[in-house]
Amino acid sequence: MAKYIEMIRMRFLMMLAYRTNYYSGIFIYSINIGAYYFLWSAIYGGQPSIQGMTVEQMTTYVAIAWMARAFYFNNIDREIAMEIREGKVAIELIRPYNYLMMKTMQGLGEGIFRFIFFSLPGMLIVTFVFSLHFTTNVQTWSYFALSTVLSFIINSQINLLAGMVTFFTLNGEGLLRAKRFIIDLFSGLILPISFYPQWAQSVMHYLPFQAISYIPSMIFTESFTRDEAVKGMMFQAVWCVVLIVPIYLLWKAAKRKLIIQGG
Amino acid sequence: MYAIEVEKLRKEFKSYSSRSGLAGAFRDLFTRNYKIVRAVDDISFTVKQGEMVGYIGENGAGKSTTIKMLTGILTPTSGRVVVNGMNPHKERERFVQTIGVVFGQRSQLWWDIAVQESFRLLKKVYRVSDQAYNEHMDHVIETLDIGPLLDKPVRKLSLGQRMRCELAAALIHNPPLLFLDEPTIGLDVLVKLKIRQFLKEINEKYNTTILLTTHDMTDIEALCERVIMLDEGKIIYDGSLQHLKQNWGEGRQIHFQFRDMVSKEELTSLVPVTWEQGEDRYNWIAHVLTHDMAHVIGKIVSSYELKDIHIREVSTEEIISNIYEEGIHHG
Amino acid sequence: MFYISIFLQYMSQYIKTKLQYRTDLFVEFLSDLMFQGVNLIFILVVFGHTQFLNGWTRDEIIFIYGFFLVPFALFASFFNIWDFNERYIVRGEMDRVLTRPVHSLFQIVLERMELESLLGGITGLIVMGYAASRLHLTFHWYDVILFVLFVLGGTFVYAGIFISLASISFWSDARSSIMPMMYNIGNYGRYPVDIYNRVIRYILTWILPFAFVGVYPAAYFLRKTEWYTYSFLTPVMGVICFTLSLLLWNAGVKRYRGAGN
Repeated sequence: MAKYIEMIRMRFLMMLAYRTNYYSGIFIYSINIGAYYFLWSAIYGGQPSIQGMTVEQMTTYVAIAWMARAFYFNNIDREIAMEIREGKVAIELIRPYNYLMMKTMQGLGEGIFRFIFFSLPGMLIVTFVFSLHFTTNVQTWSYFALSTVLSFIINSQINLLAGMVTFFTLNGEGLLRAKRFIIDLFSGLILPISFYPQWAQSVMHYLPFQAISYIPSMIFTESFTRDEAVKGMMFQAVWCVVLIVPIYLLWKAAKRKLIIQGG
Repeated sequence: MYAIEVEKLRKEFKSYSSRSGLAGAFRDLFTRNYKIVRAVDDISFTVKQGEMVGYIGENGAGKSTTIKMLTGILTPTSGRVVVNGMNPHKERERFVQTIGVVFGQRSQLWWDIAVQESFRLLKKVYRVSDQAYNEHMDHVIETLDIGPLLDKPVRKLSLGQRMRCELAAALIHNPPLLFLDEPTIGLDVLVKLKIRQFLKEINEKYNTTILLTTHDMTDIEALCERVIMLDEGKIIYDGSLQHLKQNWGEGRQIHFQFRDMVSKEELTSLVPVTWEQGEDRYNWIAHVLTHDMAHVIGKIVSSYELKDIHIREVSTEEIISNIYEEGIHHG
Repeated sequence: MFYISIFLQYMSQYIKTKLQYRTDLFVEFLSDLMFQGVNLIFILVVFGHTQFLNGWTRDEIIFIYGFFLVPFALFASFFNIWDFNERYIVRGEMDRVLTRPVHSLFQIVLERMELESLLGGITGLIVMGYAASRLHLTFHWYDVILFVLFVLGGTFVYAGIFISLASISFWSDARSSIMPMMYNIGNYGRYPVDIYNRVIRYILTWILPFAFVGVYPAAYFLRKTEWYTYSFLTPVMGVICFTLSLLLWNAGVKRYRGAGN
């Protein structure tokens, strides 16, 4: 366990070393949220609520979705794809740790870093500039925290899967890009799932993507009732467990391929 | 007319150091420690057209930095550089037309396309006419023996094959000045020989000036009459290889194998030179100057019974490493 | 003339290389289409819940998006140097570029071009055509010339911004995540800027002038006379942005430190 914590710390320090990122990063995230804020305000026009969400809830939804994204987002899929291409995975395999676990921990280090240096100051700026609604309900906050951790796990799991799939395909880059668009669209980052037509919603109910952004953001804006929130987190937890199966199988297959081909 | 004129050339880099630990990293966020490192420290030298010069020094001595300033990649902090009559970084695009560059560790060729396609592209880039190209490159391709490789993509070539193609690529526009940065790194002996042979040939044929950096002293010995030696950004030797060897490498090592055990004191009192013990007390090595050799051997042979004698010349490699270890004492 | 012949030479090499990896090409086309699809879906879903966006109709918004895709495709094909820092500075490929007798930026543009992105331009034209027919727009013969001018203007605005960002690498060797985020900001130019507040509108017009890639030029074809001044500024902004970025680039090259020091 100590080595994985060390991994988190290392990545955190590494991120810290690239300092030009932060100042510009916060600025750009704020512009991002700002633009969506106005876009949604314009979309609402005079309507008091759409799909049961007020304009205030909606803009808060957008802000929190982006800020949470800073935490769960990472590039471990790309890193895995690159390490496969450059033949580094073979070396990683002989090291005394689990490669996938290590990648996840690096992602966590990055996430914690961004949470502290992006999300917190960014949130502060955004709340000053725009009228957002933050609940004072402790239960909502704790649900949200738990839900965000789960969304980190699911997003990382999907990244691990995508990274490993590039091992079996020729064009990894295109695949990873496609994955990103799917996540942008179906995770609820740019649009709450409840805005989609009914048929699309029922399809998405069978996919893990809304666990990444939609559920924590809905919890935070209190657009979910308490029951819905608990159900949402159950949905996340189930996917966390279910996704272990394909990861395990794919990793086994990848290792076999690695041994035969030598990376 | 000099091919290269360098006067008081200097290059400084800002080097950032990061503080240790988490708290240090936080402090680095706001202010960072840095110091100015002088990679090249006021060096001056000239190279005549048609010379082959070995530019040597340990890692970090400033070799690459100098080469990069001479090729117009880096802008000097101060000093004067005139190469082929031009200021490399000021008139970069016109200037690079007159030089060829080979970086041993970095490919000039396009990875995915056939070698000859790369050549064709470079021919366009350097605006070489069909006639000049055919005349010159036919010869180059033949001498380097890369004809059969031309239709293969670069990624499928071995290192030796690639290096020969790199060299050919650098010569497409038949430049009067050639910079070679570690051109033989990682190559096997046969390829090295072929490359050296080729470099000598173009030097004779076109009077091409060649500036070569390498870690392999045999390259220098085979090619360069003159060496420039660099240490910590300063030139510590500039002159003929012959002179260098005479001054620092004039000595010989004579390895005696005695029939009986002998002690260092005995030997020193008989012949007052530096004695070094071999694998045991039967084996002793004398470090002597060339003109003392006969005298030393005569004395030993007349006083002891011997099993064997070897005489060994000190290699350039050893001379160079001695200079770096001990600094310049004599000469 | 020399530069055109070099360009053609590189292009033919590029096509030869790409044809070696045909499946890659297909996947890239597909992921480009998905990228365009995501944004279109956003617009369609949103207009499932509202009639107007600050007075702009669904089809007008779609038209702007279609227009945006054309300069964006040109940009993505030739100026998409988001990995410049990683590829040329960190790995030292810039050394090689600087030893060749062609302007360094031009070489990099040629080496990094991705002609398959041009497909996005065709998608854009189709999207525009669809919106234009629903809006019953009519065009004059000179609109074609203006269209070309506006598209080039928008392309150079985009190119200028990204070249400037790439130039920062000459001063700071830190790996930067500005590039990917800039793509997000670029998206805001696709919506009518009058929905934003003054600060953001100002930024999108004068600082990161992404509005000149989408809404401003498109407003001309939508016959929104109140925006005409901005529409006709598009080529001017393109020239200014691109020139500034070139100056910044050239200054940066002088500062280049080389790799591995």
